[in-house]
Amino acid sequence: MTSLMSHVISGALTGLLYALISMGFVIIYRAGRVFNFAQGEVLVVGAFLLWSFAMYFNLPLWLSILLAFLISAVVGLIVERVILRPLVGEELFALVMVTIGLMVFTRGLVLVIWGADVHFIPPVFPMKGVKLGSLMLDRGLVYGGLLTLAMAGLFSWFFNHTRMGMEMTAVAEDHQIALSLGLKVKWSIAAAWAISGVLCTMSAIIFVSGKGMTFLVGDIGMSALPVALLAGLESIGGLILAGLIIGVSMGLAEFFLDPLFEGGVATVFPFVIMIIVLLVRPTGLFGWKTIERI
Amino acid sequence: MTQPAGVHAETYDQDQALIKTRPQWTWFWVLMIFLAVLPLFSGGKIIGMMNVIWITLIAVVGLQINVGYAGQINLGQSAFMGVGAYAAGALTFHWNVPIWLTIPFAGVAAALFGAIFGVAAVRVKGFYLALTTIAAQYVFQFVMLKLPRNWFGQIHGLRLDPVSIFGIELNTDVKMYYLFAVIGTLMIYGAWGLVRSRTGRALVAVRDNDNAADIIGIDVFYYKALSFFIGAFYAGVAGALWGYYVRYIQSDMFTMILSVWYLGMLIVGGMGSLLGAIIGTVVIRLLQEFITYFGPWVAELDMFSGVGGQIIFASMNMLLGGVIILFVIFEPRGLVHRWNIIKESYRIWPFPH
Repeated sequence: MTSLMSHVISGALTGLLYALISMGFVIIYRAGRVFNFAQGEVLVVGAFLLWSFAMYFNLPLWLSILLAFLISAVVGLIVERVILRPLVGEELFALVMVTIGLMVFTRGLVLVIWGADVHFIPPVFPMKGVKLGSLMLDRGLVYGGLLTLAMAGLFSWFFNHTRMGMEMTAVAEDHQIALSLGLKVKWSIAAAWAISGVLCTMSAIIFVSGKGMTFLVGDIGMSALPVALLAGLESIGGLILAGLIIGVSMGLAEFFLDPLFEGGVATVFPFVIMIIVLLVRPTGLFGWKTIERI
Repeated sequence: MTQPAGVHAETYDQDQALIKTRPQWTWFWVLMIFLAVLPLFSGGKIIGMMNVIWITLIAVVGLQINVGYAGQINLGQSAFMGVGAYAAGALTFHWNVPIWLTIPFAGVAAALFGAIFGVAAVRVKGFYLALTTIAAQYVFQFVMLKLPRNWFGQIHGLRLDPVSIFGIELNTDVKMYYLFAVIGTLMIYGAWGLVRSRTGRALVAVRDNDNAADIIGIDVFYYKALSFFIGAFYAGVAGALWGYYVRYIQSDMFTMILSVWYLGMLIVGGMGSLLGAIIGTVVIRLLQEFITYFGPWVAELDMFSGVGGQIIFASMNMLLGGVIILFVIFEPRGLVHRWNIIKESYRIWPFPH
C-alpha cells in the first residue's frame, strides 16, 4: 500500500512539473497562436546557463539563477523577434515547422557549445528528501509542485484580473480585434515569450537541481505535451488538473502495468490518454471553443 | 500549367498527357536511360547513395501527398515506415514469403495504421493533429519493443538474409538499385497521376478549406483518411525496401527526427509539388553526405574539442533546423518555385514577361 501511495504521490508531483513546463507552452500559445515545440530545448538552454554561471564562472548560486532567468527571457525575446515575427499571419504548417526546426537547431547548437558530457548542476534545494508519513519524497519535486501551484495561481490572477493580463487575453482571442482596439499585439507576444523563457528555466532548475544532465534532458519537453493538450492549450488553471491526471495515471500505470509489460508503460501512457481525450473532446478539457467560419 | 508557345492540344488524349512536347519526351528518355545505365559506370559509393535516395524519395513523395496536397500535418511518417518494414520483414523472416507479395502487403499494413490517424484528423486539426501523429511515433516504438520476442525480435530486431525476386538473389547494391529504381519510378508515376485526378483535386480542396470543401460536396472524412492511407502506403513500401536493403529492422531506425528530415525535404523542395519532393530529397541527401564527409575533419579542430565524436550529430541537427527555419521564413515555396521562375523566363526569353 505504501508503495502504491508513493507511486501516486511522486506521479502527481511529476505531473505538476509537466504542468509548469506546459505553462510555458500555454502562455505562448495564448499570445501568438504558436505552439512552441522547442520548449524542451529552451529548458536545456536554461539548465546549461545555470551550470555555466555557477560552475564555470563560479558565481554565487542566487546570482547564477537570476542571470539564467534574465538570459532565458532575452533568448525568448530574440526567438520571437527573429523567427516568429516574420511569420505572423502565415499558415499553421509554417508555424509548426519553424518551431520544430528551432528545436532541432537548438539541440545541435547546445551540443556544439556545451558538448555531450554529463554536467552536474549544483543542488538548488537541499538534497535531503521530504518525509511524509512513511514516504520519502524528492525535495526538489515537492518544492517544484508548490511552485507550480503558486505560478498557476499567479498567472490565472494575472490574466483574469490585471489590466495588462486582460489585454494579453484579448490579444489571445483575436489579433485583429485587439489591434483595432489599440492594444499592443506585438508587445504582448514578446512579453509572452519572455515569461515562457523564465518558466522554462524555472522548470529546468526543479528538474535537474543536484543531478547530472546532458542535452537529452530536452526530451522532457515532449513528455510534457500531453498535459498541455489535455488542459486545452488555453487554460492555465486547467494545467494543474491535467498535470495531476496525467501524473497520477502515470504513477498508477507504473505500479499496475509495468510488471505486466516489463516496464516502459509510464512513458507512453500519457500519449494514450491524450489520444483518447482528443478523440472525445478535440479542444481538451478547458480549451476555448471556436466557431469556424468560411 | 503553362505550356510553351505553339503547343496546342488537338485531342483530349493530348490534353491529358503527362508529357506533351517532343523535347519533354527527349529529356524523359535521357533521364530514364541515365538511371538505367548509372550502375555501369559509377562506383559503389554512388550506387549506395542512390539506393538511399530512392527509398527516401518514396517516403517523401507519400508525405507530399499527405502533407503538401491534403494539408494534414504528419509527424509520424517514419513510424508508418517502421510498420511497413516490420510487416515485410516478419513475413520474410518467418515464412519466407516472396517479396513481390510482401512489399505491397507492407504498404497496406502501414496504410491501415496510418488511416487510424486519418480518422483522428477528422476530429482534431492543426497543432492537435501534429501532436496526435507524434503520439503515433511513441506508440509504435513502445508496441514494437513489447510484442513477444519471437514475433518482431523486440530490442534485438529482425535480421534478414538477402531476399530474392524471380530467382535472382538481391545480394549486391547494384541489384538492389534496379529493384528500387523500378518500384520508385512506378510509385512516383502513380503519385503524378493521382494528384491530377479527381481524388487529387479533392485533396487540395480539403487542404485549402475543409469547411468549404464539405459544403461543395466533398466527403471530408473520406479524403482526410484517404490522404493518410496513401501517405502511409508509400511509407510502408519505403520501409519494406529499407528493411531488405540494410537486412536489419529495429524500432530505433524509425525515430521522430527521421520524420522531421522528411518534412524538411518537403519544405526545401516545395510544398504541394511532386517535383519539389524530388528536388528536396536529392538536395538534402547531398548536404547530409557533405556533412558525413567533412564532419570528422571539423572534429579535429581545437574549437570543437568538447563536441568530439558528436560533431556529425550536432551539425546534422543544425543543418536540418537551419534549413527548415530559413526556408519557412525566406522561401516558403521552396526550390521548385525558383526552378519554375527560371523555366518560365527561359521560355519567354527575350521578352521580360
